[in-house]
Amino acid sequence: MIEAKGLTKVYGDKTAVGGVSFTVQAGRVTGFLGPNGAGKSTTMRMIMGLDAPTSGSVTVNGEPFAQHKAPLREVGALLDAKAVHTSRTAYNHLLAMAATHSIPKSRVHEVIEMTGLGDVAKKKVKGFSLGMGQRLGIAAALLGDPQTIILDEPVNGLDPEGVVWVRNLVKYLASEGRTVFLSSHLMSEMALTADHLIVIGRGRIIADAPIAEIITGKGHARTRVRTDQPERLMQLLAGTGVSVEVHERELLEVSGLDPRGIARTALDNQVMVYELTPLQASLEEAYMELTKDEVEYHSHITTGASVPAQAGGK
Amino acid sequence: MSTTTVDRKSIRNSVGPGPSFHRVLNSEFIKFRTLMSTLILLASTALVMVGFAALSAWGTGQFAEQVANDPEAAAAMAAQGGDLAVSIPTSGISFAQLILGSLGVLLMSSEFTTGMARSTFAAVPKRLSPFLAKLIVVMVSSFLLTAVSTYIAGLVSLPIVDNYGLKLDLGSSQSVKLLLVNSIYVAAVAAIGMALGTIVRNSAGGIMSLVGLLFVAPIAFQLIPGDFFKEANKYLPTSTISPLTAVEHVPETLEAWQAGLVLGAWVVVPVALAMILLKKRDV
Repeated sequence: MIEAKGLTKVYGDKTAVGGVSFTVQAGRVTGFLGPNGAGKSTTMRMIMGLDAPTSGSVTVNGEPFAQHKAPLREVGALLDAKAVHTSRTAYNHLLAMAATHSIPKSRVHEVIEMTGLGDVAKKKVKGFSLGMGQRLGIAAALLGDPQTIILDEPVNGLDPEGVVWVRNLVKYLASEGRTVFLSSHLMSEMALTADHLIVIGRGRIIADAPIAEIITGKGHARTRVRTDQPERLMQLLAGTGVSVEVHERELLEVSGLDPRGIARTALDNQVMVYELTPLQASLEEAYMELTKDEVEYHSHITTGASVPAQAGGK
Repeated sequence: MSTTTVDRKSIRNSVGPGPSFHRVLNSEFIKFRTLMSTLILLASTALVMVGFAALSAWGTGQFAEQVANDPEAAAAMAAQGGDLAVSIPTSGISFAQLILGSLGVLLMSSEFTTGMARSTFAAVPKRLSPFLAKLIVVMVSSFLLTAVSTYIAGLVSLPIVDNYGLKLDLGSSQSVKLLLVNSIYVAAVAAIGMALGTIVRNSAGGIMSLVGLLFVAPIAFQLIPGDFFKEANKYLPTSTISPLTAVEHVPETLEAWQAGLVLGAWVVVPVALAMILLKKRDV
């Protein structure tokens, strides 16, 4: 379990993390979602004791990370795909890390096999692709067989097979009762992997809820309706809390009323409906909705050919 | 998918040993010997030490031959104590200190430039024990390498000086003293390098500061007029070797014990500063 209380990190006049409090529970995959620059990596570095919080505190299993007797056996972290001296081989890197905790060589071989690095383990990390670097980082995180696993953007640079592998791995680790905390800026990936979501934007927690709640919670349930009498149906549906958009001549999108209600209204008034499809808001939409005011780097399309990404207002 | 070895359903706090100092020392030693660049620097140090000694043996022999034909020069040489050959084995020392000092810088700065530091200090979050373990590895290896290279350099030089009729006794107390003092000195420079690498966290910057201290400052201090710099020059690390190895105290230099203290301070102060900064700063 990871517990952050009023965790704050200020760099000069810029607040990277602004007093966040959250709890990451054991036994489920908790996603840490936010746009680039939202403070995800800074928060994770503070959990690992690499960056000191400006104020506030964070504990792992009840104690600050640095106070644990066997840190690698307590928490495994992938903070950066290349937190490795790239002139060393993958095997020697893991061996040196393992030596600090007397973790046997057999375990080093195990995590190499587990992460599919068998063929390249004796090669210098310099030549690794981003995906292999991620696998090495995950291997290092698993080395101490830790109760808590922290992965910062683990699927970055992985091929589709690797993405599925990480997804299954983290779910499996959580099913064993471990605490799994992984960050991403890819909402679609989170929708498939996480059980619980903590959404961060500009250093502040925007949402902290089970993933299903975040998807449905924003009143985004809509229904696609096709009818040969769109004008009549619009009039009938018009009412408090119901909004209707006309998409094509005979296609409407209704929100604020469930499909059963729409069908009842249509039936009562003899309007023929030939499609009635519930539309679930994607997490992506929910996320955009949540973070639309919190994105630090907005893209602005300027007149001309270039599309520079400009820093948003402070 | 292959699975982890753990099949217990409920997982409690960690079991198994944590990072004791000897484990961290072992880890740092693995890191030290698994980098090709480190091994190349060590090998080139040995090569340079032996090569320079051989050159110096040849040059000294030539010089001695000239002197033998010139009674005036022979008299001048005799007045200086006459033991020309004894310092031959350590004649490559200024290159050894540069290479091993740079190695000291690199071993720490590369932790930060490559991101390895995040792995190192996540595994051992108390931070000072990896630093001290690395310091021990760097100092001991620099000491041993210099000592062994000096001895081999002496062995290689023996037949050359012998050819010119000069005497070189590797077992003499002055030979042993030169070997030990120079090896300790190089170990001290490597420690200064590692401290600089920790403080500036940048390879080029660290090596440049080290070169500034070891090569630029002694020359600059001599060129700048005024007694202050002449006095300050005596307290530079490079100025401590000759008082420590002199047969008799040479005027205008420190006493041997003072030189020892000065060299010690050159190690302790930067290392202490590096440790404070390492503990305080974010990784």
